[in-house]
Formats: sequence, C-alpha cells, structure tokens
Amino acid sequence: MAFRRRARRDLTTEQQLARGPMDLIFLALVVLLTVIGLIMLLSASFAIAMYDSYPGIDTGGNPYYYLIHQGGFALAGVIIMYVISRVDYQYFRLLSVPALIGSVVLLLLIFTPLGRSANGARRWLWLGFTFQPSEIAKVAVIMFFAARLSKRSDELKAPRKWSRRTLTGRIGAALDRIGFLELVPYGLIMLGILFLLYKEPHMSAMILVLVGAASVLLVSGVSLGWFAAAGTLVGAALWFIITQTAYMTKRINVWLDPTVDLQGDGFQPWQSRIAIGSGGLLGKGLGNSIQKYQFLPEMQNDCIFAIICEELGLIGACVIIALFMLLIIRGYWLAIHARDRFGTLLIVGIITLLAAQVFFNIGVVTGVIPTTGISLPFFSYGGTALVIQLAEMGIVLSVSRQIAAPKVE
Amino acid sequence: MDRVERRPRGDHGKSNRSLLRRTIFLMVVMGVLVFIPLVAQLVRLQIVQYDEWKQRAANQQTRSVAIAANRGTIYDSQGRAMAMSATVYQLILSPRDVTALVNKDSKEFKDAEGNFDQAAYDAAVQAKRAVIVDWLADNLGMDEENLWTRIENTKSAYERLATELEEEQAEQVRQFVSEKKLANSLYLVDSSKRYYPFSSVGSHILGYMSENQYSEGRKVGAMGIEAVYEDALSGELGRQVYSKNGSGHEMMSGYEMYFDAENGYDLTLTIDERIQSLLEQTLAEGIETYDVQAGGFAVAIDPQTGAVLGMASSPEFDPNNYAAVVDEDLLNGLTSAAEQYGEDSEEYSAAYKAAFDAQMRNKALSDAYEPGSTFKPLTVAMALEEGIISLDDTFYCGGSLKIEGYPLPIRCHDHNGHGEQTLTQAVANSCNVALMQIALKLGAEKFYDYLEDYGYRGTTGIDLAGEGTNITLDRASFTGPYGQSSLAVYSFGQTFKTTPIQHITAFASVINGGHLMEPYVVQSIRDDEGSTVYYHEPVEVRQTVSQSTSDTVRGILEYVVNKGSGHNAYQAGYRIAGKTGTSEKIDMRTPEDPDNDDVICSFMGYAPADDPKVLVLLAYDTPKRSAPHSNYTADGTYISGGNITAPMAGKLIAGILDYMGVEKQYSAEELSSADVTLRQVTGYELTVAMGRLQGQGLGFRTVGTGQTVVKQVPSAGVSVPGGSTIVLYLGDEAPPEQVEVPGVAGLSPAEAKTKLEDAGLLMRVSGAADYTDSSVKAITQSIEAGTAVSPGTIINVQFANSVVDYNVENNNDTSGIPTPTE
Repeated sequence: MAFRRRARRDLTTEQQLARGPMDLIFLALVVLLTVIGLIMLLSASFAIAMYDSYPGIDTGGNPYYYLIHQGGFALAGVIIMYVISRVDYQYFRLLSVPALIGSVVLLLLIFTPLGRSANGARRWLWLGFTFQPSEIAKVAVIMFFAARLSKRSDELKAPRKWSRRTLTGRIGAALDRIGFLELVPYGLIMLGILFLLYKEPHMSAMILVLVGAASVLLVSGVSLGWFAAAGTLVGAALWFIITQTAYMTKRINVWLDPTVDLQGDGFQPWQSRIAIGSGGLLGKGLGNSIQKYQFLPEMQNDCIFAIICEELGLIGACVIIALFMLLIIRGYWLAIHARDRFGTLLIVGIITLLAAQVFFNIGVVTGVIPTTGISLPFFSYGGTALVIQLAEMGIVLSVSRQIAAPKVE
Repeated sequence: MDRVERRPRGDHGKSNRSLLRRTIFLMVVMGVLVFIPLVAQLVRLQIVQYDEWKQRAANQQTRSVAIAANRGTIYDSQGRAMAMSATVYQLILSPRDVTALVNKDSKEFKDAEGNFDQAAYDAAVQAKRAVIVDWLADNLGMDEENLWTRIENTKSAYERLATELEEEQAEQVRQFVSEKKLANSLYLVDSSKRYYPFSSVGSHILGYMSENQYSEGRKVGAMGIEAVYEDALSGELGRQVYSKNGSGHEMMSGYEMYFDAENGYDLTLTIDERIQSLLEQTLAEGIETYDVQAGGFAVAIDPQTGAVLGMASSPEFDPNNYAAVVDEDLLNGLTSAAEQYGEDSEEYSAAYKAAFDAQMRNKALSDAYEPGSTFKPLTVAMALEEGIISLDDTFYCGGSLKIEGYPLPIRCHDHNGHGEQTLTQAVANSCNVALMQIALKLGAEKFYDYLEDYGYRGTTGIDLAGEGTNITLDRASFTGPYGQSSLAVYSFGQTFKTTPIQHITAFASVINGGHLMEPYVVQSIRDDEGSTVYYHEPVEVRQTVSQSTSDTVRGILEYVVNKGSGHNAYQAGYRIAGKTGTSEKIDMRTPEDPDNDDVICSFMGYAPADDPKVLVLLAYDTPKRSAPHSNYTADGTYISGGNITAPMAGKLIAGILDYMGVEKQYSAEELSSADVTLRQVTGYELTVAMGRLQGQGLGFRTVGTGQTVVKQVPSAGVSVPGGSTIVLYLGDEAPPEQVEVPGVAGLSPAEAKTKLEDAGLLMRVSGAADYTDSSVKAITQSIEAGTAVSPGTIINVQFANSVVDYNVENNNDTSGIPTPTE
C-alpha cells in the first residue's frame, strides 16, 4: 500500500465505514466474468492473431497476442479496481466536477492532432497510449449527475424566490414549479457532450451516455413526465431518422434481412448468426469455432459473443448471460442498500450503463436490434475500455464497503 | 479534503420510496426483462433454426470436391472390352475466388485517411483476371471473349471451362496454378471419357454417353446397355470434404472427410464382338449388293438360353462420336440437303434430325414388322402340338383359298397352285393355302392361345431399353365373326406386327424343345475386385410346344433348306435349317401410295439342324426394284427372302459356326464335296498312296508308269474339295507347266467336274444345295475359260437352281383384313 495505514481509532466514522468489507459476491462475479472473458478472447482471437489478418494490428503471427495484451490490462484493471474500492466514494462528489471538465477537454482534444481516426470516425486520443475519451465521459457524467442529484431533496427544501412582478419571474416560477429549471443544467451538459460525440461521430457512445444519465435522473426522482416527454421526442427523432435518411433505412433493412446486402453491410450480422446458429444447444466445444477462421469480422471485439455461442452453445451463452444478470441484479441490490443517495445513484448509473452495454452488444450480435458498435464488457478486446470498466466496478465496490452490515442478534 | 460534509440520511420518506421503487424498476428491467428477447433469439437461432444455420455454416466452411468413380467396362462374352473409360479432367474456374485473390483490406487500397481506393482495387482484380485469361487463351486455345464474360461473373463460383482435358494439358494447368498460386480459383476435377474400341460394332446395344438436363454436367448413358445399367456402371461419386477458412484456404487442423468413390461394375455381355461384326458385315454387304432402301436388321441368339449373341441394325452410328452421321446413304442424303438448302436451313436440320434418329434406331429391338413366312413354322407347331395335323397329312393348293367373310380369295404366291403336298413339302413350298387350311382347322381360339403363349401379345423382357410393341388384334376381334380372314393371313405372318427380338424368341421356342426363353444381353456383373455380383441364369418364361413337336418342326425346317425354298441358305457341312420370309409392308400402302410394294426379305435360320447352337434372323428392308413393280433387283436377283436373304444368311450362319468352332457334319453325299487337306503321297508306293487318298474320300488318276509316286498335283497340304481327283505322276512323267481352263457354264455339276478334272484342274462348287437335281446348272466360274493356269488349280463354280423361287406372299389384297393399331 502506498499510503501509511492508520490505526482504526484515529479514523473518522466515514473512514471507518470506508474500510468496511466490500461486497464479495459482486467482486466474485466481476472477477469471474473477467477471467471467462480472457479465455473466450483467446479462443476467439487466436486464429486472427495467427493469420495477422486484422487491419491496423500487427500481431507478428503470435496467436496469443490479443490475450497477452488484454491480460496485462485486465491485471492492471483489477488492481485499479481494488485501489478505487479502497477510496471513500464520498471523494467522488468532489472529483465529479474536475472529471466532467476533464472528459470534455479530452473529447475536445480529439479534434486536435492528438486525435486518431479509424473507419472514418475520429474517436481515439493518443496520449502515449490510445483510448476513447468517451469511455471516461460516460463515468464522469454519471458521477457528476449522481453528485448533483443526490442533493436534490435538500435543494427542493429551499426553493428559489421568484419575483412575481416581472414576466421572466413569472415564467421562471412556472418553469420551476414543473421542475424544468432544475433540469436545465443537466440538459445543457448532456447536449454539449452529445454534440461532441456526434461530431466524432460516435453513435453508440451517445446512446450509452444518454442511458447512463437518464438512469441517474430517473432514480433521483425527476418527474416521470419528463421521461415520457423525452422518450416521445427521442422516439419521434428516431422515426424521422429511420424513415427519412437512406443510411438508416438501409441499416434497418439489413437488420431485418441481412441477405439483402450479404456482401456488404449484411455480411457481419449474417456471419454472426451463422456462428450462433451453428453452435446449437451444446456448441462445438471451447476452441472449436470455425467461424473465427476469417469468416466473422470483429470476432475479438463486438462479435465475440457469437463465437461464445458457437463454441459453448445455447447452454454456455445462457450461463454467461446469467452471470451478467446476477452481476446487474447484485449491482442494483447494492444501490438499494447504499449508505446514501449518492452511492445509490452512482451504482445505478454505472450498473445501468453496464446492463445497456451488455444488452446492446448481445442484441446486435443476435440480431434483436440493428447494428450499433457496442462492445461486450469484460469480453471484447480493448485494454483501456477494460481498465475503465473495472475501475467503474471499483466504484461500485467502494460504495459497497459502506453498506452497514446487517445487525447480528 | 479530509472532512467531508456530512449529509444527513434522507429523511424524506416519499423521496426515498420513489428512489427504492425506481431502482427496483431498473433492476427488473435492466437485470431481467431486457435479457428475455436475447435468450429468446438465441433459442430461435440455436434450437429452432439450428439445422438451417448449420447447413449455411457447412456450406461456407467446407469445400467439397467430387472424386470421380471409374465407370465400369463393358466386355463381350469373350472378354473383349467394348466400352471402357479413361481419366480426363474438367477445368473449373471460380470467378468469385479470383476476385478474392486480391485482399480488399490490404493497405495498398487505403489512402492516407484509411479510405478505400476502389479504382486501385478494381485495377488489381482486373490484372489478376488478365493473367488467367491470357494463359488459358494462349495455352489451351480458349476463346478470350467468352473467358472474359465468364471470369467477370463474380457471383459465380463454378464455371466449367473444359470437360475433357487430357493428362498432358492437365499437367500444364497444374503448373500454372501452383506458379501463380491460383488454387481454388482454377482447378481440375477428375472426369472420365468413354471409349468404344470397336467403334460402331454393337453401337445400338452399347448405347452412348451424353449429358442430359438431370445429369448436372456429367455424361450418363443415353441408350442401350450404358443407359439401362447406368447405376451399375457409374458407381458412386466419392467426395472429399474439408474445412476452409474465410479466405478460402484449406485449414491445417480442420476436419476432413473422405468418402471413397465406388467404382462402377464391369459388365460381361452375351454379345460376341466377332458374331456382332459378322452380323453387321452381312447386313452391310446385302444392303450394298441389293441396293436396300430402308436398312435392315440381324439378330443372333443362342436358341437354348435366349442369350443374344449379336444384334445389329442398319444404319448404325459410332458411339465415340454419336452425333456424326456415318451411314453412307444417310450422309448422301444430308449432303444433297446441304447443297439444296444450305447447312443453316431448317430443311437441313430436319434432314439431320431424321438421319440422326434413323441411325440411333435399334430396329431389331424397337421396330415391329410383319414377319411373313418366317412365322409359318410357328403355325405348323401349334397344329402339330394340338394333334390336328401330322407329317403324313397332305394339303391341296389350287393357288388360292376363299375365306368365309372375305370377298376375295386369298392367293398363294404360286398362282397355279402347289397341288397335292405333304406337310413338309407345304412348308418347303411356303404354301399359303396349306397354312391357311391348317390355321382354319386349328380355329381362332386355339391359334390365339398360342399367339399369347409365344409372347406376341407382350414384350420379351430383354434387358435393353426401348423394346417395341407387338401389334396384334385383341382376342375378341380375332375370334369374332370377322376374325376368320385375320386367322387365315396370320397363319403366314401377315397383317400383324412383331418386333424382331420377340419373333426370334418365339421361333427359338419351337426349335429348342418348346422353351420360351427370356432373351438377355448381360451375362454377368462383376464389382471392382472382380467378384461376380450378378450372373444371369437363363429364364424360361413358359413351355410353348412339346419336345416332340419341336423335333418335328426342326426336321421340316432342315428340309426347307436342303430341298425347299430355303435352299439358297445351304452350306455344305453346316446342317443349316430355317425358313424364308418375304413380307409385304402393308402399312406403306397409303392413299397417296396405294400400289406400294415394299417388302422385307428375311430369313430365320439356325444350325446345326439337330442341335441348334445359333439362331439367326436376318432381314433386308425394301431391296430396290430394277423398275417400278419389277420383281427383280438391278442385278437381276428375284426379290424374295429365299433369293436375297437366304444366301447371305447361309454364309452368315456358316461363318458364326466356324467362329464358334462347331464341328462340321457331312452327309455321305456332302462328304464327297467337303474340303479336305491333301495328304503327302509323293514318294510313297502307289498302293500306299491310293489308300491314303481314298481314306480322305479323294479319287485319283495316274500318269506314266511306275510303282512310286514322284509328284502329286496338287501338292500336299493344299485344301481340296472332297471327291476331287488327284493326279499322281509315276516314273519319268512330270506335270505340264500350264493348262488351259475349259468353260463349264450351263453344265451340270457332274459334267463340269469331269471336264475340269480332265484338264488337270479341280472344282469347288457353291450355290444351290442339291447337285443331283437336273435343273441345277453352272452359272459362273471363278477363272474364265481360256485362261492358262498351273495344273491342280481349284476353280470355283457357282451353280444355281434355274427354277425361280416364287416364295412371295405378295399380290394378295389384304386391305380388307382388319389390322390392329398401336
């Protein structure tokens, strides 16, 4: 440990609480998923690594290339997770503002020469290592929203006095009454970040930021009417985009029937379904996927779940889905039992984000929803993403430490 | 930073309840509900649609290569290969894989921004294609334009560029492919090519190989044995299945399965290539000699078993190149069509189609004809079997017979009538009136029973495809009130039709002891390892007549050749028996051509007469008349089965027996004229020499005096006709250098022999059977009178019975007799 350990009696109550035991069930699930993820990554990637056929990555023909890289990040990630779990999460209230500002700065840096692009999108930032600032932005938004919204009930106790004599005052009072003013700062922050992501462009990150923020807003008690309104708005916008833009129309058509463009956009979904379908109930056995031999694109990234289905069958896929479900449910359970609203909102945001990622990834791979490029947490190849993922889990664990143990009679 | 502002735990009950509710809501939605459609979809893909996806996966993950099975060889009965296969190669191009040779993800086609450079990529693909097209055009002489069209069809993964590459070219292709690393894009598939070493011999029986719309590019048997035994011959295609990766390369560790090709079975036919050749030669010779208009057919079977020894039809084709017209007459017709209309004309293609159909037709199997007088022995056998006639019965022929219910009297071919004749004579005379009398005595019901027993109402069941239908009246019509005239003319084989194979099968039964055998062509089938998987045992369909009836009929038929209308088939030493036939083609008498007098001249004969080894049916369809309605061909031969077909059939049967090695049997009379190989008598005492010559049935005369033979003419080892007189020189006498050949035309056999032998020459006779008959006269001699030859030269003298054989059922107007329709 880097810091000197103080005697328990020297600690404040908070500090004592922060040293409480972390939730071992949640920890076990995270570690389990990380380990399974590494195994599956090895299985999925060794062909592509051996053939060195993935553009932009030079494996030198080493079949373990992906495993070694990801394994290093996973180890680092687990250590970081532990360290973060040791941090009293109340500090994150303070950290949330610089985190938000920092992530906005990072998003802006993408548009400087430090940014890196691939496949026509500029999503990566190079700071000695390459990562997606959007990953940090997701957590920062959740952290900031949770910190602000946890004080909501206090703020509501002392409503601002509006001048009844001026028009603005009256409008302000009206907007305040329906809870609109309260949402304005959040809305502005969201709009700013979404705009930056839109410029990359990074559709999937936009969705995830939106979902994460929305979950925090929802649980914090914002009137459901606003969600209904926002939902209607988003629905209408989606409807417009899908029907009125050729790009989205095609994407939807390919989703409904990949065979309309088997050589192009339909190729990946089609190959993915072949992998899943040919796995059957019991699968071809670990390591026996054939689709990974240069049939299925992005098999180590977004499509890794298809390889899981092919090798481990319906049973294996369901086991992994069940592990994710347990992790998510345990996460919400921890949120419910968190010591304060901040802890609750923090976990709700992080877990909802995780659940959304899992849903979107598996949904795309199985063809339940149209293609969006969202990776599968703990499984997909991507070092910084994994580290950030584990760091988020560290935050959840940190909150879990301060849950009061059930009273023992 | 150490002190964190302490927030009181929320004491707003309502707010906390909402927080709890909403978190639980999220827990249910995000932790459970969203996964339901995912799992449902997995179940759908992995369980419900499992088979579909598995199939799709297999389709793209595996490459399967057909492994050709060797087609079985067809052997004749003596083990001569009549159809055999050799390996050749198909050249397959996969345009899709050619495109895949250029890696789309390669950095070469990305600009600095990482964007895809379509133009550069297209150029690279096009260059790859050019390499292949140029090489194929240069080395295999393929059409460049066509190649470009096919290689640019990138959706296709299978373009068959060549079907029969020989090993040499295949090797070139292999080198090119490995040099340019084109595996999967351009590859060879084993295939086989069929060879028929005897070209047209047996073509109708063997059939040929061609593609059809169901054969998926493979050649399959299209006719004859090749078609009927397609499954046995072709074997099972093998298949090599191996997994491949996304870029189409074989995987090192992938699964691989190899299904062995199962080679086809070898067939051994009952057909003997030599006998088949004899049949075809005889057909060709007769067609040439008598300018036969509509071809002919010849069938030879073993009458004891039904094994088909040969079956020939003219015109014929060459299965090595079945589409080519080879028959001379058909070719002439085509050439004139080409000259008249041009080769692109509809008329020409119609003419070609007609010629093609004609040469493909196995007449002996498919074409029903009126058997004519060759049916008479079967009528006689019925009556004998029923005991209503016997050899002692006599029949009176007054030249015609009036049949109840038919307006005109039905005439015999001899309009003056044959007079009183025994049964044997009636058949030998081929007397229609006698046969009608016999049939009327037998009655329609009985006659029809036999017609059925002989098989004229069905098919023989021979193991060849395309057996024709016999056309006979149904029982009700035949036995009905208007059936009498039909009964009368059926007795001599007119107004009904039978396929040659059916007719010969039925005929066999009346000479083999009454056993109606199922004719067959395939004797045995052997698998790849040589073990027999099928052996055809002769199948007896039913007994038609008794052994004794059969014996009687055989006696009559030997008489027909020895003394009767079949005498021109006589060959000394072979004991040939049989029956001639000259059948009208009454269905050719159409309103447009009411006087059509086309006939089929046939001969059904067998030998040896007492123990038939081979039964032959030979027929020429429509020998050309020298003038309309003339009874003679251009070369002066009377148009009848006895005059045209019998001599050819006699030679044919003799040739077959010689080939089969059947020992000759001579009657005492024949022995005197049968050939013997002259023994060495030079240097022997005269008395010893005499004994040696007499032992061979030879005569001799001496020239000079002395006790020792100093010279014999001809010399030892020469084959001389039996009964010849050998000249022995004694003492100082020596044979003259040359002698002059005397003329013998118009002389009887005895006179001719004496005249020639007096001149120091020998005579060999040919032609008419009975040399004691006073009406037999020499007509030609092989060496012209007046020619100087060495002494002892054998002169062939052709004799003929100067009485014309009127063995024609012709000149009867049978148009009022009901003829069955098909």
